[in-house]
Amino acid sequence: MLDAVYAEALKLRRHRATWLMVWIYPIVVALILIGVLLYGAVAPAGEAGTTATAEQWINNTLIFWEIPKSAPGRFLIAGFAALVFAGEYGWNTWKLIIPARARWQLIAAKWVVVVGFVLISLIVTDLIGLIGELLGSLQGEAIPAGVTIGALLEAHIRAIGFALAPILYTVAFAGLFGVLTQSILATVILSIALVIIEGLLPLLAVLGHNYMPGISTPLIEVLPLYHVANVMAWAKGQGMTLALGPDAAIGFSFGASLAILSAWIAAAAAATQLRFARQDLN
Amino acid sequence: MVDSEPAETIALELRGIGKAYGRGANAKRAVDDVSLRVRCGEVYGFLGPNGAGKSTTIRMALSLIRPTAGEALIFGRHPTEKGALARVGSLVDGGTFYGFLSGRDNLRVLARTQGGDGARIDEVLERVELDRDAKRKVKGYSTGMKQRLGVAAALLDNPDLVILDEPANGLDAAGIQDMRALIRGLAAEGKAVFLSSHLLHEVEQICDRVAVVHKGKLLREATVGELLDVGDALRIEAEPGDAALAALGGRWPAQRTETGLTVQASRADTPEIVRQLAAANVDIFAIGPDGHSLEDIFLTMTRDSDA
Ligand SMILES: Nc1ncnc2c1ncn2[C@@H]1O[C@H](COP(=O)(O)OP(=O)(O)OP(=O)(O)O)[C@@H](O)[C@H]1O
Ligand SMILES: [Mg+2]
Repeated sequence: MLDAVYAEALKLRRHRATWLMVWIYPIVVALILIGVLLYGAVAPAGEAGTTATAEQWINNTLIFWEIPKSAPGRFLIAGFAALVFAGEYGWNTWKLIIPARARWQLIAAKWVVVVGFVLISLIVTDLIGLIGELLGSLQGEAIPAGVTIGALLEAHIRAIGFALAPILYTVAFAGLFGVLTQSILATVILSIALVIIEGLLPLLAVLGHNYMPGISTPLIEVLPLYHVANVMAWAKGQGMTLALGPDAAIGFSFGASLAILSAWIAAAAAATQLRFARQDLN
Repeated sequence: MVDSEPAETIALELRGIGKAYGRGANAKRAVDDVSLRVRCGEVYGFLGPNGAGKSTTIRMALSLIRPTAGEALIFGRHPTEKGALARVGSLVDGGTFYGFLSGRDNLRVLARTQGGDGARIDEVLERVELDRDAKRKVKGYSTGMKQRLGVAAALLDNPDLVILDEPANGLDAAGIQDMRALIRGLAAEGKAVFLSSHLLHEVEQICDRVAVVHKGKLLREATVGELLDVGDALRIEAEPGDAALAALGGRWPAQRTETGLTVQASRADTPEIVRQLAAANVDIFAIGPDGHSLEDIFLTMTRDSDA
């Protein structure tokens, strides 16, 4: 299995699309950091205005973990997953590798590589950001007292955990769309549609409740759209309450939404495997 | 009986394998009840016109598509079984590769996927004379280079069974020569080679045995010699044709053609025929065996199978 993952990584690590959709974050952040540091070196030192508490300061360093929760971030993740899962159809390369390994392992390796590459990219970006804060403190922007390595580490690990939910969700459905449509473009379009519908959910919920309350509410409760948004909202400490009308709302606990979302991710992953296992590759 | 043969020598066995596309009344049988055995040390040709079902059959053997009837066995095991295809190397579609990777990186990806370390990459690249272009992206390869990389990929894991779909497609004369030598070399090493082609002259020089397929059905399995032996005939270019026909005087049945005539006679009759024609003052420009085209053979066979 490790060999299959290595082969997949070998294939994609220097692909142009990987640079554009995955490695772009650490590169851009590093460039910005260099620019800021250079500016700080030549500009006159401003007055040290550190009013942030230790907790606020730490929360500010978690900014990059917002990427996989944001719509543009998820477009890029979906785009990369589309390339990885659907690419082999367009390139006509399944014929090269299918005789070489069990089909389920080829798909599993793609999962590992997509999620792994995205996590590696974001962790490196995170580290560059932290290095930036450290260097900035040498230039005079003091780090508030009470920021300990332990507290910092705990906050960042927690942020990674919450970021995994939208990442796994996006990859699961992009993978399924990829195997079903066998086309990168179709996969990207479907994945983007999913994110857009999720963004429109507050509006759709109200409309649905108004016109067909009997169907709309159970649908929202069962489908993953609300639950992924809710899990991401809980990352900030408070769940997402979806107002349906003046007297109705949907609000799930973190645990309930996480369980439903996990079930959807597992179902999409299983459906991908089942479909691929029986697929003819002409 | 063949069944008492040690299983180890049968590299590939197709048992009543079939593939139907679509369902019900619209179903199209691309492959219908094909059975054959390919043994170690032999080159087995799978011969048929376009659309005969050759590629479909090969893809079923490689587990790329699922048969709707029968089964393929690789050294006695189902191709979907774990490790069953580990002893097989294949070339389909003239070599399918990642265009954005170099030739060598493509082989590295394949080697890793197979679970190997790629120790044989240099060796196979040299064998197909691609070592100097191995660093270039496959995108920029010519058809022949891709085909050769495909052969390198097929040989990468030192397989005991090599399956090649139309290995001569897109190759120039020299490339075909190289390919022939390479394939014969594989059989000499004791490997089994199963290759498809739609051109008779391609298989007749390298195959030990040939199966002829047409519209999904296996028409005949034979050695190349048996296949070509559809009755002797000589093709004669001579002028004037009518005089030539008269000169043979019914001793050998003959027919006029555009450039002369075809005569139902064996090679041994050639000197006598030449003498007769010369005596009748006929100018002879060429004389030789009437090469049976694949089309002729198919026509004969389909006529036979209809009868
Ligand atoms: N996915 C498919 N759906 C429907 N019909 C198909 C499909 N793939 C192949 N066929 C049909 O199956 C038949 C056999 O095709 P196949 O590609 O196996 O022929 P072939 O012998 O390899 O021909 P060629 O010499 O042109 O490569 C053809 O009539 C083709 O149209
Ligand atoms: Mg074909």
